Amino acid sequence: MSSSKKVYTKDEWQRKLNEVKIRKSDMNRLVMNYFVTEGYVEAAEKFYKETGTEPDMDLGTITDRMEVRKAIQCGNVQDAIEKVNDLNPEILDTNPQLFFHLQQQRLIELIRSGKVEEALEFAQEELAPRGEENHEFLQELERTVALLAFEDTSSCPVGDLLDVSQRQKTASELNAAILTSQSHEKDPKLPGLLKMLIWVQKQLDEKVSYPRINDFATAALEDPAT
Amino acid sequence: MVAPANNSANVVADALTLYDFGPKRAADDDEMEEEEEAPTHINTKRSLQFLVVSVDKLSAKYTGDGKHANDVGAIQGNRPAPVRRLLYYFEIYIKDRGNRGTISIGFTDEHFKTTRQPGWDPNTYGYHGDDGYLYYRGNGHGEPFGSTFQTGDTVGAGINYSSQEIFFTLNGKLVGSRHKDVKCPLYPSVGMHSPNERVDINFGQNPFVFNIEALVHEEREKLRMEIEALHLPLSISHSVVRSYLLHYAYQETLHAFDATSGSMVPAVLLNNQVNGDKMIEEESYAFEHRKKLRQLIRNGDINGAIAQLEIWYPQLLQDETLRIKFLLDCQQFIELIKVGSLEAAVKHAQEKLANLMGVGLYQTLLQDCIALLAYEHPKESPVGHLLMLGQREAVADAINSAILITDPSLPSSRSSPQSTLEKLLRQLTACHTEKWKLNGGQGEMFRLHRVLRGKEGPW
Repeated sequence: MSSSKKVYTKDEWQRKLNEVKIRKSDMNRLVMNYFVTEGYVEAAEKFYKETGTEPDMDLGTITDRMEVRKAIQCGNVQDAIEKVNDLNPEILDTNPQLFFHLQQQRLIELIRSGKVEEALEFAQEELAPRGEENHEFLQELERTVALLAFEDTSSCPVGDLLDVSQRQKTASELNAAILTSQSHEKDPKLPGLLKMLIWVQKQLDEKVSYPRINDFATAALEDPAT
Repeated sequence: MVAPANNSANVVADALTLYDFGPKRAADDDEMEEEEEAPTHINTKRSLQFLVVSVDKLSAKYTGDGKHANDVGAIQGNRPAPVRRLLYYFEIYIKDRGNRGTISIGFTDEHFKTTRQPGWDPNTYGYHGDDGYLYYRGNGHGEPFGSTFQTGDTVGAGINYSSQEIFFTLNGKLVGSRHKDVKCPLYPSVGMHSPNERVDINFGQNPFVFNIEALVHEEREKLRMEIEALHLPLSISHSVVRSYLLHYAYQETLHAFDATSGSMVPAVLLNNQVNGDKMIEEESYAFEHRKKLRQLIRNGDINGAIAQLEIWYPQLLQDETLRIKFLLDCQQFIELIKVGSLEAAVKHAQEKLANLMGVGLYQTLLQDCIALLAYEHPKESPVGHLLMLGQREAVADAINSAILITDPSLPSSRSSPQSTLEKLLRQLTACHTEKWKLNGGQGEMFRLHRVLRGKEGPW
């Protein structure tokens, strides 16, 4: 099928790319924002030293936030909850969903370490009452308790709950809530801009044919589709 | 004059352009972008029949008989609706619906006849108060749209440039919208057609009844959610940042980043960089040399940097255009000023810089450097930015680029090397600009530095 779409050759497109002005200071700021939001304190300090780019938040508060994160990633959920409450008790008070996810993570850790009785007691006393208030919580609770029914959790349908990525998910949710409570954006800007690039390339596809960047790791220009 | 003979010439030309857009001047970019002027009052320069306009040009009253198709009294705003924004909007207040309530509100092009109702002719849109119909496309047929207008009503008309729609409101509530099928400039317009009809027009000089900020917010949120929902592998940002640190040889940061990465992100999430390896190899080229030179320049040790370059890359200092040499000589001059060694600075200028006076490419930087001598407190002077850390970084970046280009594995045609991050940001901006142009230059322009400063939503 022939299309009347305009086609930009690589050379034509390259000229357009060359016209774009990107400031070094803007790129430095993006990188600094990534370090700070993702919690790379030492990298942020060194980057400040090497480039003079000011961090957009107090580096001291990052350390506290990272300790909370580390606690979750190591499976010490109770420890993380205490640390968050030390930081700002309102964070958990005002986020019932987050609090539920933390309790759920705690249950997962109990099951992981084989403490069946303790896990059941915890589920019944702490989690079940919350499930009654919220249908979504109840389903999550049932899914989690189902872990107990399988001897070999590696092949069971809810086995993903025991995966590292589940800890990662909970840790990220908590991290975002702490950032929001510090009136800082919860996500770094860089992935947002990269998603924007996916979006705008898709939008432009509808109107013209041009060299896309498909592989963001190399940023190589593809040949335009004709 | 010296012609750019090889790649390193481009690199330094880039550095000098970079200088033109350096920290001092860059701050003014936003202001330099001319603000589009919005309509502020009724255009009384057009011949207006069958109505009278108030002295402040914000109210109108119908004075005709309202008996024929061509004795409409219509008015337009003094300027077309501005287009380089997300939305344009204005309102009218129906002071008196008159005998028949034949008041209309909408948008018209520059050829619009002021004795016709908006919506009757091509390139015009009008929401009519007598029947509540919307008229557009100039085929004379309206379609049922909303309520009729009563005395005391506030009616609004707007353009959403992002969705390319014309929309209307009544007493603060959205009535509906239609696709805007014309790209020409559109003027806010009002038509009246029966005795005693009177309207006040609000071009934004007073608060609107309709919550336009909420609509702007809603539009931005919609877009933000759409973009946020897209899938991006977790490892990509990490790899883009890492490759940036390699590219510019920020060794200490890279070291700290790598040291913590392991404990921050599970290794499984980082190991799927399929094509990243080749990139890392490219970015790692001559890392130790680039790192050392950056450190020397950052510490202001320009002689040390020149000495190392003479050992590692003598060709860069001897290339016929002497551009790298020039940048370093300028920086050396700046460093001497910085520590207050004025005599040494003057001597250095006479020996190394004087013979370059008058060479086109070098003029701006050279003149600014020399100008440092004229001020008792150069730091507070208009050229004070030269004494800041950013200038050292710009010089270090130029040398970094010049070295990267000597990588024999690169295609020889390649001009100034760019980090992955820079390439992605260029593509992002170019795509947005292209999309905006295809949209007839309507809607908000994407400006990266504004997005970064959080002044706008997704844009």
